[in-house]
Amino acid sequence: MINLKGIFKAHVVGTPASDRNEWQQNRFTLAFTGEIEQYEKAFRDDYFNRSLRPMRFSLVLSTFFFAIFAFLDAVLLPELKSMFWFIRFGIITPLLTAVIVFSFSTGFKKFMQPVLAGLMYVTGLAIIVMTIFAANQAGNYTYYAGLFLIFIIGYTFIKARFIYATVVGWSIVATYEVAAIWITDTPVEILINNNFFFISANVIGMFISYFLEQSVRRDFYMRILLQKEQEKVQSANNALEKRVQERTRQIAQANKDLKKEIEIRKRHEKDKTKLEGQLIQLQKMETIGTLAGGIAHDFNNILTPILGYTEMALEEMSEDSTLRYDIEQINSAAVRGKDLVQQILTFSRQVDFDKKPLKLDEVVTEVLKLIRASFPSNIEIRQELDKQCGTVLADSTQMHQIIMNLCTNAYHAMKGHGGVLTVKLDKQKVGARSINGSAKIQKGTYVRLTISDDGHGMDKRTVERIFEPFFTMKEVGSGSGLGLSVVHGIVSNYQGSIVVESEPGKGSSFAIYLPQHSEYYDEEKANTQRMKKGRGSIMFVDDEKEITFMGKRMLESLGYTVDIKTDSQEALEEFRARPQKYDLLVTDQAMPKLMGTELIARIREVRPDMKSIIITGYQDSIPANAMEQYGIADIISKPLILSEFSELIGKVLGQNPQKSTDEKNTNH
Amino acid sequence: MKRILIIDDDHHILLMLKKMLEKAGFEVDLASNGVDGLELFQKIQADLVITDIIMPEKEGLETIREMKRMRSDLKIIAMSGGGKISADNYLETAKIFGASLVLEKPFTQKTMVDAVTRLIESE
Repeated sequence: MINLKGIFKAHVVGTPASDRNEWQQNRFTLAFTGEIEQYEKAFRDDYFNRSLRPMRFSLVLSTFFFAIFAFLDAVLLPELKSMFWFIRFGIITPLLTAVIVFSFSTGFKKFMQPVLAGLMYVTGLAIIVMTIFAANQAGNYTYYAGLFLIFIIGYTFIKARFIYATVVGWSIVATYEVAAIWITDTPVEILINNNFFFISANVIGMFISYFLEQSVRRDFYMRILLQKEQEKVQSANNALEKRVQERTRQIAQANKDLKKEIEIRKRHEKDKTKLEGQLIQLQKMETIGTLAGGIAHDFNNILTPILGYTEMALEEMSEDSTLRYDIEQINSAAVRGKDLVQQILTFSRQVDFDKKPLKLDEVVTEVLKLIRASFPSNIEIRQELDKQCGTVLADSTQMHQIIMNLCTNAYHAMKGHGGVLTVKLDKQKVGARSINGSAKIQKGTYVRLTISDDGHGMDKRTVERIFEPFFTMKEVGSGSGLGLSVVHGIVSNYQGSIVVESEPGKGSSFAIYLPQHSEYYDEEKANTQRMKKGRGSIMFVDDEKEITFMGKRMLESLGYTVDIKTDSQEALEEFRARPQKYDLLVTDQAMPKLMGTELIARIREVRPDMKSIIITGYQDSIPANAMEQYGIADIISKPLILSEFSELIGKVLGQNPQKSTDEKNTNH
Repeated sequence: MKRILIIDDDHHILLMLKKMLEKAGFEVDLASNGVDGLELFQKIQADLVITDIIMPEKEGLETIREMKRMRSDLKIIAMSGGGKISADNYLETAKIFGASLVLEKPFTQKTMVDAVTRLIESE
């Protein structure tokens, strides 16, 4: 066994252990065995492919030499010439040619080795036959030498594998021995001599053949290893290529992502700067608001004694006192101060106003009527009012104030050369961020009031500051500077927003966005809706006749059946007579004979679940614990307002009396 | 003569109100914070209390509540110069706590004297 482990190792450094195959082969046939047996078939295929051409060449060469020896026949054994030539040209040469021809067929591959072996043996046999005839009929013992040529070609050129060549070689020798010993009377010396030559030639031939095949096999195996390594390298290359591609793709993607992120960052940065600006503006306004609230409080305290003392002084002063004018001036200045503080409080949103559904177009029309009278003729007033823009929830006085304020500002901006004042009212749907410059606006439908002028306009810095209190563009003395800050305070209070657009020399536009309260507003409908109509029998007790009449009318208008009593004692007797008739008792507290609470207490002796409402002049005339003690459902104070009254009765007579008791308890 | 207790941390307002109400024919006692006011309230028999809301020591709302606890039928006028901290309406709260009447500062002589007279007469 040849061990190629060393060489093998050198080739497979760094490859996985499973790839390292032990070199193993059959000692005689040389076939691969063990771990490399799998390559045997591939080797034979390869061997066949590589042997085909040299084999054909050796066959042609053999044919040539086999034919050329015909001269030898003619010279040495003319008497046997015809028979020998028959063997040469009638049998062997055609056989050799036939094999050459056969080698071109596809079926040859399978039979190559046996065919070659057979061919060698037949050729050898032919020479042995000629040797026998030459010896027997002509005493010639030299023809055996032809067998050496057979050995030479058989062990080498013809490409028969070692095992075939060996078997055939020794078969020929054996056949010769048989022929030489029994068929001819070959002298012993020649026999010994020939045997020496034959055996040594065969042995040498075997070695040559053995090492040739071995070399070819080794060569083959090396090529296989090489191929394997190449495959590995190729697959590593492929993997590498793939990885490079993958990495390239990843890098390209990362690059793309990075670019995208940079863009997003840039956009965020921009948004952030914008929002920061808005936030700072907002904080500034809030801070000023808080500050203003504090100042307002202190100012009111300061103004109180000033006003009080001036009034008292004026009272004590004679009509013709020289000081009177001075004191009056102090008084009027203090009153102005008081108004100013009121405005500061409005700006800082510390004044609550009565919010009601309001049709803004009506307020605008009213204000424009006032303005038309006071504006000079060189200012044209245009109005575009969408009457279908819906209502806003606001205080009409404040709206009045806003419109007046903005129109007055527009007038100041156009004073002198005149211009056009446009007042526009429309409905506007606001999505997220669709209003520029406003950070504090919710999505929704807004009523937009736009007041624009073509006056002197403002630069950006001015626009940023116009809502600050005491910032003014008018000459000193012509305004307090609180105007727009008050507008801002009011609008913010209504969760609205103001968008200002202005350009120096071109004019300004103030758009006020107020949340739309409802699409349409029907005043009558709203009033009736507020009244909670109901059913039930009510006893109304008050010692004042007029009040009982009014109460009866009110309650009947709401759908109740009402009995009235002006005497509490009578009321109690009526109730005792028909305790289940009434669902509710409404009684005044301050009455002669029985007080309201007493009446209720007596009635509850008869009917403990009786519900009652007490009417008071002063809330504190009812002890705090009275409601619980007398089981009073609620207290209402005079004067009676229909809407409140209806609401209260509805609540007390509501579906869930238990609930109303709970509510009552939580109130105290 | 009806007796009025006035509580305010502003000295000027106290003196002005004293003069104003004495002129209108009332007897006036003064306190500059809720603690002093309550102390004085326990000593004298006041027919009416006028108190400021935002004050040091004990502020007006608490003062009102404690006085009402002592005398539930007591008439109180609360007055204030407006919200210092938030939009919460102090005067509205004062009403809930039991003030019979509330007045915004600054007020005129007439407003104050009328209010006092009306409350005292309604007793």
